[in-house]
Amino acid sequence: MKRYLWVILSLWMSVSFIQAQTDGLPTNKFHVRSTLYGVGYTNILDTYLSPVEYKGTEIRLLRENMRMTHLMDGNVSSQSMFQLYFSLTKNRANTGNEWGGMVNGTQAWHYQWRFGNLKLMAGPMIDLNLGFLYNTRNSNNPAQAIANLNIDASGMAVYHFSIKNHPMIARYQLNIPVAGVMFSPDYGQSYYEIFELEHSNHNVLFTSLHNRPTFRQLLTLDIPVRSSCIRIGYLCDIQQSNVNYIKSHQWSHTLMLGFVKTLFPVKEKDRMISSSPYNPF
Amino acid sequence: MLATIRNWFILLMTLLLSACITEESFENTPEGNFEALWKIIDEHYCFLDYKNQEYGLDWNQIHTSFKQRITANMNSKELFDVLSEMLNELRDGHVNLVSKDRVSQYRRWYDSYPRNFSDSIQSVYLGKDYYTASGLKYCILEDNIAYIYCGSFEYSLGSGNLDQILQALAPCNGLILDVRNNGGGVLTTADKLAGRFTNERLLVGYISYKEGPEHQHFSKPQPIYLEPSTSNVRWQKKTVVLTNRRSYSATNDFVNKMRYLPNVTIVGDKTGGGSGLPFTSELPNGWSVRFSASPIYDVDMQHLEFGINPDVKVDITSEDYNRNVDTIIETARDIIQSSL
Repeated sequence: MKRYLWVILSLWMSVSFIQAQTDGLPTNKFHVRSTLYGVGYTNILDTYLSPVEYKGTEIRLLRENMRMTHLMDGNVSSQSMFQLYFSLTKNRANTGNEWGGMVNGTQAWHYQWRFGNLKLMAGPMIDLNLGFLYNTRNSNNPAQAIANLNIDASGMAVYHFSIKNHPMIARYQLNIPVAGVMFSPDYGQSYYEIFELEHSNHNVLFTSLHNRPTFRQLLTLDIPVRSSCIRIGYLCDIQQSNVNYIKSHQWSHTLMLGFVKTLFPVKEKDRMISSSPYNPF
Repeated sequence: MLATIRNWFILLMTLLLSACITEESFENTPEGNFEALWKIIDEHYCFLDYKNQEYGLDWNQIHTSFKQRITANMNSKELFDVLSEMLNELRDGHVNLVSKDRVSQYRRWYDSYPRNFSDSIQSVYLGKDYYTASGLKYCILEDNIAYIYCGSFEYSLGSGNLDQILQALAPCNGLILDVRNNGGGVLTTADKLAGRFTNERLLVGYISYKEGPEHQHFSKPQPIYLEPSTSNVRWQKKTVVLTNRRSYSATNDFVNKMRYLPNVTIVGDKTGGGSGLPFTSELPNGWSVRFSASPIYDVDMQHLEFGINPDVKVDITSEDYNRNVDTIIETARDIIQSSL
């Protein structure tokens, strides 16, 4: 009985989408939004603050919005992501703490290639990171400001499949900054000199893979549960830089869990699993 | 198509995963901690070349000589003693090794000199009715000379407080500004006070910092200016700044700024120095180390690390100590009286 219902539902959805297209409803009004919450492990090094790695816990919020655009015959999707995360880490001797906080905003445009249930996407991304690290026991180098703006190469693979007639979506995404600018104090330069005496030198730097080999990987699985859709994920966030003889890394591995919502002008929420041209995901 | 994407992906991930950025790490052993500390100072300390010229400090030689004293089975206390002794070779009051129960300090910059300050004698001058505001003690001496004691720059000075203090002392013939035993604090606090004694922007020195780990790898020195306070309440009369060997760090910087002002005389002992802006780092065992990272020079590009000579060198005499008389304050009073 259930199988029949799924078949009928699928047919009805296909017909509805065709009708929607013929009705001229804009494809870019179909949004797939998700909000994920995560807890994970992070390993932080910033030699401006300490030559020692700090390790500990990270909590993270990730909000994502995807939709199709009219670009390139409607084959380009738009993805915006917002992340907010905090970390509390300790040195290995357990005598020092570092607090960290970061805001990350990205906007990507992916060209989509469709191979049956598989979508491959690739395109440029604008990637902005703002944050701080604070070492609780340092003197004139207590904190490090983090600010960088990058152009990333972004790629994504989305696969629609079913297990026991339960439609699911698996997604893998990789973002790699290929060029950008970042702020950094010079090797032994204090923030007193930068901001109080207003002596700036080598503080805004060009970055690329040679001095900022950084990437973010996101693996998610969407599982429909009754009328909603749960998303579970793993985020591997590898932020690194080596500028002005200051080495830094923040390696985060975070398990994410949250919900996916689809927004469309008509009441057809069950289409969220569809692989129709409306669905950017 | 798929094969090409897969190949590019594998190549890219291989490149990225092989590009992990890490720092050389040392074992948490006596030898590892020794090497880590030696390296921190070797790469970050800003006076290695200067002190080599001044008294022959050879940091490589120190590595050789102190490494012989490191053994695998030495305990934490013994290691702390050896590492502290090594750091004391830098002759720098800004250099400290900090463990959970101890702090190493180089004290000869003041221990080997006359104290030149006694709070019991000072209390004779302050009397019982002195005022306190923003951490400053102030009063008017019998000969209508204002006296302000600033014992620390650790805490911010309120603009309103400074306005009130200077207005209260405005009828006086001159001002004695006592920064003896002031071990420093926040540079901007010292700047705020110094800004009350100038009406114009004044070049008072230069600052540079290390641009890399090599000993001589410094940035081009940038000028430091003393800016007049934005408040209209500024001291215009004769001022004498009192110093001793324990006028250190931010106070050393304060004295450097004050000595370029035309109406200011520095009286007392040579300041303690401490012209390197201190940074902090740490060892594998979690001990913290503070060290000078960024040198400040005077207007002639001379180091101030070992102190600033006063315009008038005065020590408190033993006779005056016995009579509860502060020779340095008395000298300052004479200077102000003779300027009237």
